[in-house]
Amino acid sequence: MGKEECKTMLDALNKVTACYRHLVIALGSTSDSQNLREELQRTRKKAQELAVANRTKLTSVLKDKSISKEDRAEYERLWVLFSSSMELLEVDMKRSLEIGQDFPIKVPTRHFIQTGMTGSTTTVAARAMSVQNMKYEADSNIDTADLRELRSEITQVSQMMEEMEMKVQVAPWAVEAKQEAGAELKSNMSVGNSSVGVISICEEEPKEEDGGGGSRDAGIATICAVVGFFIILFVAAVLGYLVINMS
Amino acid sequence: MTIRTARPDRVQHFPPRMHCLKKLEAIVVEMQDLKNGVKGSEQKLNVTTIPHVIAGKDIIAWIANKMKTPTEEAHVFCTMLVAYGYIYPLQNHKKLVMCNDTSLYRFQTPYFWPTQKWVAEDSDYAIYLAKRNIRKKGMLEPYEQAHYNHLHKWLNHKWDFIVMQATEQYKAGKERKKPDRVVFDCQERAYWILNRPPRRTHSAIDCSPEHLFDPNTDEKISFDQYRRMNIFYQQAIMRSKVKSSVSLGALVKYITTYKTHDPFLAPCLPSNPWQTDNDSYWNLNTRRVEIPTKMRVERWSFSLFELLTDLRGRDDFKVFLKKEFSGENLAFWEAAEVLKWGTASSMPSKAETIFKTFLAPGAPRWINIDGRTMGLTVKGLDHPHRYVLEAAQTHVFLLMKKDTFFRYLKSPVYKDMQKKALNPEAHNFSPAQLEQNAQNRSLGIHPIILWKQEEEENAKAAAASAPIDVKAMMSKIDRK
Repeated sequence: MGKEECKTMLDALNKVTACYRHLVIALGSTSDSQNLREELQRTRKKAQELAVANRTKLTSVLKDKSISKEDRAEYERLWVLFSSSMELLEVDMKRSLEIGQDFPIKVPTRHFIQTGMTGSTTTVAARAMSVQNMKYEADSNIDTADLRELRSEITQVSQMMEEMEMKVQVAPWAVEAKQEAGAELKSNMSVGNSSVGVISICEEEPKEEDGGGGSRDAGIATICAVVGFFIILFVAAVLGYLVINMS
Repeated sequence: MTIRTARPDRVQHFPPRMHCLKKLEAIVVEMQDLKNGVKGSEQKLNVTTIPHVIAGKDIIAWIANKMKTPTEEAHVFCTMLVAYGYIYPLQNHKKLVMCNDTSLYRFQTPYFWPTQKWVAEDSDYAIYLAKRNIRKKGMLEPYEQAHYNHLHKWLNHKWDFIVMQATEQYKAGKERKKPDRVVFDCQERAYWILNRPPRRTHSAIDCSPEHLFDPNTDEKISFDQYRRMNIFYQQAIMRSKVKSSVSLGALVKYITTYKTHDPFLAPCLPSNPWQTDNDSYWNLNTRRVEIPTKMRVERWSFSLFELLTDLRGRDDFKVFLKKEFSGENLAFWEAAEVLKWGTASSMPSKAETIFKTFLAPGAPRWINIDGRTMGLTVKGLDHPHRYVLEAAQTHVFLLMKKDTFFRYLKSPVYKDMQKKALNPEAHNFSPAQLEQNAQNRSLGIHPIILWKQEEEENAKAAAASAPIDVKAMMSKIDRK
C-alpha cells in the first residue's frame, strides 16, 4: 500500500539524515580525514536520492483530491516528517560546507581540533549506505572538488524546499503527533549491557550514584542470568528423569 | 515545518552579532599546533583512555605567554573561551569557568562552536533531550524535564519526527567505538549546557532580540547623510566644552556618594531579587510603605532631586512642610510637574487653576518668586503650553534646595525617620533554597490595585486642597 511504502522511504531518509549529522559533527576534528569527506559526499548523494523519491511520492498523493480524510491526515503527518528531515539535512549540508572550507585537508600543516575523537566514522557511513563495508575510491583533491558540488547541491535542495512549500498546501501546525511524551523510551531499543557501560563511564561528575547505579544494574543482571541458568538446568534434569522413567 | 527555517526567511530575522568569534576561532586553531600549541594528555576512565585532554593551568600559561599579558588577564580570557563554548570542562560541567589548576578541559568540535549564522534550534534541543531520555532511561534533570514537557507541548506537530530522529541518532551513535561515544556525549552535553543553560550557569551566548536587518552587511551611506554628518560634527566642535578636570571631579563625587547604593557594586539588602528570586527587597521599598529602609532614607539626604523623585520621600517632605506651614512651594512644583506630564487637552484648565491658586496677587497659596519670573510666567499663561511654568518651577526648586531642604535634613521629622528606618538582615540561601525560591515566585501586586490606590490618594489630596468654601464652613459652625 502507498502508506507503507512512504513510511519505509521516510524511515530510510530519517536514518540517512541521522548518520549525516554524526558525520558532520566529526568534521574539523581529529577524526576528520579524506575518508570522512568521501563518506559525507556519498551519504549526501544517497540522502538526495531518497529525498527526491519521497517528494515525488508524497506530492502525487497529496495532490490527489480523492483520498479520504483519515488518509489525508496521515499523509499530512508524513509530509511534516519529510519536511522536518529535509530542513535538518539542509542545515547540516550548509554547515558542512562552512566547516569543510575552514578545515581543508590538502594543506602542509593540518590544524584539526583535538577533540578527543580519534576513531573513524566508517561504521556510521556504512549504516547510512546500508552496506557492510565501505570502499574508498575517491582521489586526493576530494575536499575542494566536493565543495563545489556541495554548493550546487545546496541550491538544489533549497529550490526543492521552496517548490514544496509553494505546491503543497499543508498546515504543519494542524498535524497531531501519534507519539506521546516519553515514547522514545518504549521503542524497542537494545537497552542492554552496552548502554549500561556507557552510562557508568560517561558521568564524569564527582557523583558516585550513576556509576553505582550502573554497576548495581550489572550486578542484578548477572544474578538473574545465573538464577535463570540454574532453573533451566533443573527443568532439564526433571524432564530427563521423567523420560528415563517413562521408557 | 517551522516558521523560522534555514531558508532566506521572508521576515528576515538575524541573530545578534558576537563580534569576537572569528578572532577566538583563530586563537583556538593556533592552540592545536602540535609543536607550539597546548600540550594535551590522556584521560583514563574505567576501561578506556581518551586523548586530548588539557589542564586549566596549561591553557592559562599558554595564553599568558602568547598574548604577553599577566596571568589574571589570561585567566579571564580563558574563562571567556569556556563561556563561549570553544573549550568545555570535564569535571563540574555546569560551571563554565576556567580554573587555574589541574582541572581538565577539552576542545569542542567545530560543529558545536558558537556561530552567528546558526542558532541552536528548539527542534534540535528536543531531539537531544529525547536522546538523553533514552540514555538515562527517563531520569532527566529537573530543568531538562521542564524543557522537555514544554517542547512536547509546543513542538507537538513535529514530535513524531523528533522521536524518530532521536532513536536513529542514538542507534547511529552506537556504531562508533566506545571512547568516541563518550567524547560525543560530553560534547553534545557541553553544547546544550551552553545554549540552554540551567539556573545559575552563565554562558556568553548573546540572547538579545533578533535584528530585522543583517548586521554583517555594510550600509551604503549616501552623500546627503555625509553632508549632515559633517554639519553635526562642525557644530559639535564649536560648542563650549566642560573641562575634563571638572567633569571627572563630578564623576568621582557621584561615585563616592552612590557606590554603596549600586546593586552591582555593593550587596543589596536583604538580597537582590534578580539573583535569589526572593522579592522582600521590592516589598520593603514599595511606594507607600510605612517604614522605609535605611538605604532609602540615606538616599534622600543626597540631594533635593533624590528626595522629590522618590515619592515616599516626597510624602515625608510634605509632612515636614505642613508643620512649617510652607507647603506652597512644593505644591506649586508638583502642579507644574502635572502640567508638564499631563494631557494637552487639560492644559488650559490646569493653567487656570494654577494661576488662581499660586500666582494671582492675593491667591490662597501665593508663592514668592521674583518679579521678572512672575511677569514672564503670567504673560506665558495667556497661551499656555507644556513648559510655560518651567522658569518659575526652576526658581521654586532652587528656593527649596537652598533653604527648606537643609532645614528638613536637620529637622526632627527626618531624624525620627532615620531612627525608625529598617535595616534588614542579608539573606543567606543555600542552593536548595534558591531552587525552592525559583519555583515559588510570587506574581507581585496587580497593577490595577496600585492604580486604584493612586486614584484614591489623588481624590483625597484634591478634596483636601480644594479652596475652603467659607460659607459652607460658617453654616456648619452656625448649625452647631
